[in-house]
Amino acid sequence: MAELFITLASAAPSGEGGEKAGLLDFNVLANVTGIAVFLISLALLAKFVWPKIVQGLEDRNEKILAEIRSAEEAREQANSALADYERELSRAREESSKMIADAKAQAKALADELREKNEQELSERMARASADIESAKASAVSELHAQAAELASVMAEKILDREINVQDQKKLLEESLAELGRMN
Amino acid sequence: MDLLLAKAGEPHTPLGHVLDKTLLDVGVIGDLTMQMTTMVMGAILLVFLLSRSAKRIQTGSEAEGNERYITKGRFNQLIEAIIVYLRDVMIEPVMGEKDTKRYLPFLLSLFFFILTMNLLGIIPLPDVQNIIGKIFDGQTFFGLKMNDHFAVIGGTPTSNISITFGLAVISFILIQIHSFRELGILGWLDHLTCGLCRGPKFLLLVVPVVFVVELAGVFIKPIALAIRLFANMVGGHVLLATLLLFGSDFMFRGASPGAVTAISLVSGLAAVVITFLEIFVAFLQAFIFMFLTAVFISLMSHGDEHDHDHEHDSEPISPPFHENHEGAVKAAH
Repeated sequence: MAELFITLASAAPSGEGGEKAGLLDFNVLANVTGIAVFLISLALLAKFVWPKIVQGLEDRNEKILAEIRSAEEAREQANSALADYERELSRAREESSKMIADAKAQAKALADELREKNEQELSERMARASADIESAKASAVSELHAQAAELASVMAEKILDREINVQDQKKLLEESLAELGRMN
Repeated sequence: MDLLLAKAGEPHTPLGHVLDKTLLDVGVIGDLTMQMTTMVMGAILLVFLLSRSAKRIQTGSEAEGNERYITKGRFNQLIEAIIVYLRDVMIEPVMGEKDTKRYLPFLLSLFFFILTMNLLGIIPLPDVQNIIGKIFDGQTFFGLKMNDHFAVIGGTPTSNISITFGLAVISFILIQIHSFRELGILGWLDHLTCGLCRGPKFLLLVVPVVFVVELAGVFIKPIALAIRLFANMVGGHVLLATLLLFGSDFMFRGASPGAVTAISLVSGLAAVVITFLEIFVAFLQAFIFMFLTAVFISLMSHGDEHDHDHEHDSEPISPPFHENHEGAVKAAH
C-alpha cells in the first residue's frame, strides 16, 4: 500500500510527455481556478437557474394541492348531491307509492260506487219493469176480460138469439169472470 | 483503443491516462493544465444546460393552460427528478426546511458541478486530440506543438487534488460561517468540547483532548471530502486504463497476435462494464460530496430547531433525522 502511494505520489513528468504533473502535485493555480470557476458557476446558477426551477416546482406543488383540494371539494359536493338525490328519490318513491295506493283506493271506491249505483239503478229499473209488466198484465187481463165478456155476450146473443138486458149481461159477466177466475 | 491509451500516457502505465497535463507554465503559482480548461468548459456547459432546463421546468405562460406546469424534454425531466429527489428525500430530512431553503442553491450547484466534471472525464477527449495531433504532427496550434501527445482539453477535473481541495475549501468556509452564525463563538467552542464543560467537573480533564480531536475533525472532514472524491475518480480511471492496456502490454511483451486479440477482447469487455460502473460512481461521488457537506452544515445547527422541523415532517419515506445523521456521520468518518 505504501509502495502504491509512493508510486502514485511520484507519478511525475516522464521522459516522453515531459509536461505531465504528478498525481499529488498541488497546483495553486488549479486550486484557485477551481474555487473561482465554482463560485462563478454558483453565482450564475443561483441568479438565473435555481430560482426558476424552485419556483416552477413550488408552482406545480401548489397547483397539485389546489387540484387535490378542489377534487376533494367536488367529491364532497358530489356526495352531498348524491345524498340529496337519494333522499329525494326515496321521498319520491314514498310519494309515488302513496299516490298509487290513493289512486287504487279512489279507483276502488269509485268502482264500488259505480257498481252500487248500477246495481241500484238496475234494481230500480227491474222494479219499474216489474211494475210496468204487472200493470200491463193487469190492463191486458182487464181488456181480455172485457173482450171476453163482450165476445161471450155476442155469443150468447147468438146462441139465445135474443136480446138480453143489462141486468142479464152483468150477471153473465160476473158468472163468466168467476168461471174465468177458476180456470186461471 | 489500447494503442490510443498507450499513446495518450506513459507507455505501459495506466497513470498516463489520469495525470493532468501542463499546457502553460505560469510560474510559481502553478501551471495552466488540461483539466483546468476542461473544468472551465464543463462549467460553461453546466450553466448553459441548466439554464435551458430551468426554462423548461419553470411555469410557462398562462396561454398554455395546464400544460404550463409540465416539464418538457427527457433531459429536463431527469434534471427535475434529481433535484426533487435530492431536495425532498435527502437534504430536507437532514437540514430541515429553513436550512434547506437557505443552502439548496449551493448544494445543488455543488452536486451538478462535481457531476459534470466527473462525467466529462468519461468522455475520451484527450484520445481524440491525440489522433488529431498525430494527423497534424509537427504543426502548431496556438503555440502548442502538435504531436501524438497533443491534448488541450479533457480528463477528469475532479481527479485533480488541487481542484477537489478547492471545492472542499468552499465547503469548509460555508460550514464554519454557518457554525458561527448559528452557534456563536461560545456555542462553537462548546460544540468542539462536546458540551463537556457543562457536565460534571471531572470531565474537564478530558476537555483538552476532546477539543483537539474535534478541532482536528473540523479540518479533517473537508480534507476527507477532497481526498475521497479525488481518489475515487483516479481509482476508476486507473482501473479502466489498466484493463484497456492489457492487450497492448502483452503485445509489447511479444505475445502472439491471437493471445493479444483474446486478451484485448476480454479486457475491453470488462472495461465497458467498468465504464457503466464509472458513470454510477460519477453520480455517487457527486452525491456524497454534496450530502456530507449538508450533514456537516446541519451538525452545526441548533438541535432543537431540527427536532422542531421534523415534528412537522410528514414524509413517510424519509428516514428519521437522527438515523440519517448517524449514518452520515459514520460514512464521513
